[in-house]
Amino acid sequence: MLNEKLAKEILNISIETGCDFAELYYEDTFTQSLMVENGLVDSIGTSVVNGVGLRLLKDYKCVYGYTNDVTEKGLKKLAYDLRASFDSKQELEKISGFSKVIAKNFHKKCTSLVSVSKEEIVNLLKKINAIVKDYDNRIVKVNTGFLITTNKVTIYNSKEKVIKNSREYGRLFISSIASDNGKIETRFDGPGSQGGWEYFTNTLNLENLAKEHAEKLILMLGAKECPSGKYPVIIGNGWGGVIFHEACGHQLEASCVGKGLSVFSNKLGEKIANDCVSAYDDGTIPNEWGSNLVDDEGNVTNKNLLIENGILKGYLIDDFTGRRMNLPGNGACRRQSYKYTPTSRMSNTYIAPGKYTPEEIIKNTKLGLYAVSFGGGSVNPATGEFNFGCSEAYIIKDGKILEPVRGATLVGKATEILKHIDMVGNDLAFGQGNCGASSGSIPVDVGQPTIRVDEITVGGRGGSINEYK
Amino acid sequence: MNINKFYKDAKDSGIEVSEVWFTKSTQFDISLFRGEIDNYTSSTCGKILARGIYNGKLGYCSTEKFDRTTFPFIIKTIKDSSSLIEKKEEPIIFRGSPKYYKKNTFSESLENVPATEKVNILHLLEDYCKSLDNRVTDVEVSYGETSGETLFSNSYGLKLKSKKNYFTIFCSVIVKDGDETKMNYDVFFDNDFSKFEYKAFAKSIVDNTLSLLHGENVKNGTYKVVLNNESVSNLLNAFLSNASAEKVQKHSSKFEGKLDTQIASKKLTIYEKPLLDNIFRSYFDDEGVAKKNKTVVDKGILKTYFYNLETAAKDNVESTGNGARTGSKIVVDFSNLVIKPGKQTEDQLFETIKNGLYITELSGLHAGLNAESGDFSLESKGYLVKDGKKDKALGLFVLSGNIFTLFNDIIAIGNNSKLLIDSNVLPSIAFKNLKYSAE
Repeated sequence: MLNEKLAKEILNISIETGCDFAELYYEDTFTQSLMVENGLVDSIGTSVVNGVGLRLLKDYKCVYGYTNDVTEKGLKKLAYDLRASFDSKQELEKISGFSKVIAKNFHKKCTSLVSVSKEEIVNLLKKINAIVKDYDNRIVKVNTGFLITTNKVTIYNSKEKVIKNSREYGRLFISSIASDNGKIETRFDGPGSQGGWEYFTNTLNLENLAKEHAEKLILMLGAKECPSGKYPVIIGNGWGGVIFHEACGHQLEASCVGKGLSVFSNKLGEKIANDCVSAYDDGTIPNEWGSNLVDDEGNVTNKNLLIENGILKGYLIDDFTGRRMNLPGNGACRRQSYKYTPTSRMSNTYIAPGKYTPEEIIKNTKLGLYAVSFGGGSVNPATGEFNFGCSEAYIIKDGKILEPVRGATLVGKATEILKHIDMVGNDLAFGQGNCGASSGSIPVDVGQPTIRVDEITVGGRGGSINEYK
Repeated sequence: MNINKFYKDAKDSGIEVSEVWFTKSTQFDISLFRGEIDNYTSSTCGKILARGIYNGKLGYCSTEKFDRTTFPFIIKTIKDSSSLIEKKEEPIIFRGSPKYYKKNTFSESLENVPATEKVNILHLLEDYCKSLDNRVTDVEVSYGETSGETLFSNSYGLKLKSKKNYFTIFCSVIVKDGDETKMNYDVFFDNDFSKFEYKAFAKSIVDNTLSLLHGENVKNGTYKVVLNNESVSNLLNAFLSNASAEKVQKHSSKFEGKLDTQIASKKLTIYEKPLLDNIFRSYFDDEGVAKKNKTVVDKGILKTYFYNLETAAKDNVESTGNGARTGSKIVVDFSNLVIKPGKQTEDQLFETIKNGLYITELSGLHAGLNAESGDFSLESKGYLVKDGKKDKALGLFVLSGNIFTLFNDIIAIGNNSKLLIDSNVLPSIAFKNLKYSAE
């Protein structure tokens, strides 16, 4: 079992061959999943992830190893294996002990999810399941699930610091399928939080969420195919923020910026977006799904300004990839587990609110698409080319919502879309998801108020948008 | 680790039957950036996944923690988790198949290739990519090697073992010309290191990346298309996910009631061949059922659904060896799909469609493709096909269609089948109609 004495010994072995930084990351994660399908408890799963990651750095080289053999023998083997990648004289002083780094706990106190009985959670899942299933007999399958993840980490490093962090995540999901005369539609909703049981029983109105889930599922089942073309798109608040996350956020991560592989490399202080766009990555929002007291290399998290009135003001940086930029980490280092080398990632990323009401934005749009929600998207950071699949969208005509449309996909380039955001609403909201990248799948919030992009390519199976004129 | 002790303790605690998966894997990764080792990762990890039937219900637990508390923890968790299960289906832990088609695919020689040789090949690859054209501005290369061992057993006495290894060489190339940047990548995989020819691999990626420059869009509309091997695979996986007996039984598949009926073009024959001799070969599924090669679609007619033990029991048939674990559940999945090749080369497919599109990459599948409805609208990369030949690259565009219509609208199937990284062996295919949107 890893303790301070053993951690000191392992790090001292690791630094003997000349690395300039060494870090041990011990993780103990307990996950429980409860699933209800069409009203019956379908499965209950428990898993334990437990192991150690050892990271040795020298200049721009990172050597990483991990094991779940956390015995003294297993950890020493790991240290000797990894340190063989360096062959110079020891440059760090021998580690004599660790001082504790205490991060301020900005989360509000809440009821731990592991203290809630499985029966109580199951009852909640059954209730939601019934609301969705009973809404319409075209809904053929409803899965409701609850996922609890308790994650405890201890980080020891060659700066003689020890940092402890613990997080508890809860996520509820509703996933349904509706079928009618050969047409099939699916919908997913998955609110998540670090706000304990109160978030799911008080903050969220789960009955409304379930009703809306069912209503939108049936609505989209009967929707026409989305018309294609290049035209204005209003992007809904909350989950709509996935567009900023993909189209811009990933390109602001130091892992690609530092290597000059991002479209936003060396653009600090330059205008990259329209004046109405300001954006942040804020890991300090209390109890939010993507928040952290400290990041996964032990730095305290921050509210990082990324874009201010269209000017690029900052990047998401971890200590290692920041070396290529001569900038220190700003609390943005994250990893899914000890099995991943940590790197710069987003937390709660959002476009700041502007001055318009969502109604004003719709009213000011003669013909366009109102993309309320997205199934997700992806981006190529080197070219900035992105795509997003809409899960809920409507045609706007003469400033009013005309009808729902399905199957819309938006494509564009990061450097262009930011300059085409011409209206920003005042209704900032957040949505929760998991972001997958090189350091694994991590909880993140995306967020934004309602925004309008004056022109973007929309693909769909319907006719031309001009047919709506 | 004394598995027999676990089975005894579990039985003594009232768990009627139990099953254990033990996996152990080692991983080794190196990446280079601008001639220097940027990242080196080495790992060894083990994991236990256990299931057991307690009071007629199935419980589950997985853990990476190995100490004297491990077995008592698993036993308690199985009992706790099974207590709330309400599924009507009777839980099944498998006694074993009559015959298993076991074959060793583990390559000792791969393990014996010195690490320095693996690093060296990355340097050669990076340098050669850069030497091919001065518009190549950056190259990222990495080597990954995985070795894994699985031991499957249960308290009925069934014991199965598999061991495999493989390596991957990833290379991404960025080219710049004026203000335009394009990026492309490729992955080589095998378990025979000597098969990797860095010059041919580099030339293919660099040529392909350069050919993406100066793309121009054509008019929005419906076009005949040739999908390359990878793009066919993306859409085929979604198409055949509807052959899952689980989806059929839960009324969420368009293939419900379609067994022995025409679901695709007569030109299309699809097999699942898990026993093919390649690095993806596997001879038992995640429930311990023997895998077999089988015909799934014969000249457009659906010949079988994919079954695990639970769905097979429901339809009173045998499992097809398609049980796959996702978390605590055994679902239905498939792999190693093979399409019976046609007679035309890829160039002949271009001649066949004469004018249309050649699609080389589909992106954003998780959000832009609905496997249940079959609808897709996907960011794509590709080229114009003009007068029967591959022509200029296309700019940013979306390709839209429906997979159920698509696989009925086959013009011709190519003869250029290749093994893909998702385990499928597929050719390029020419299709009648897909919608292209760019402007």
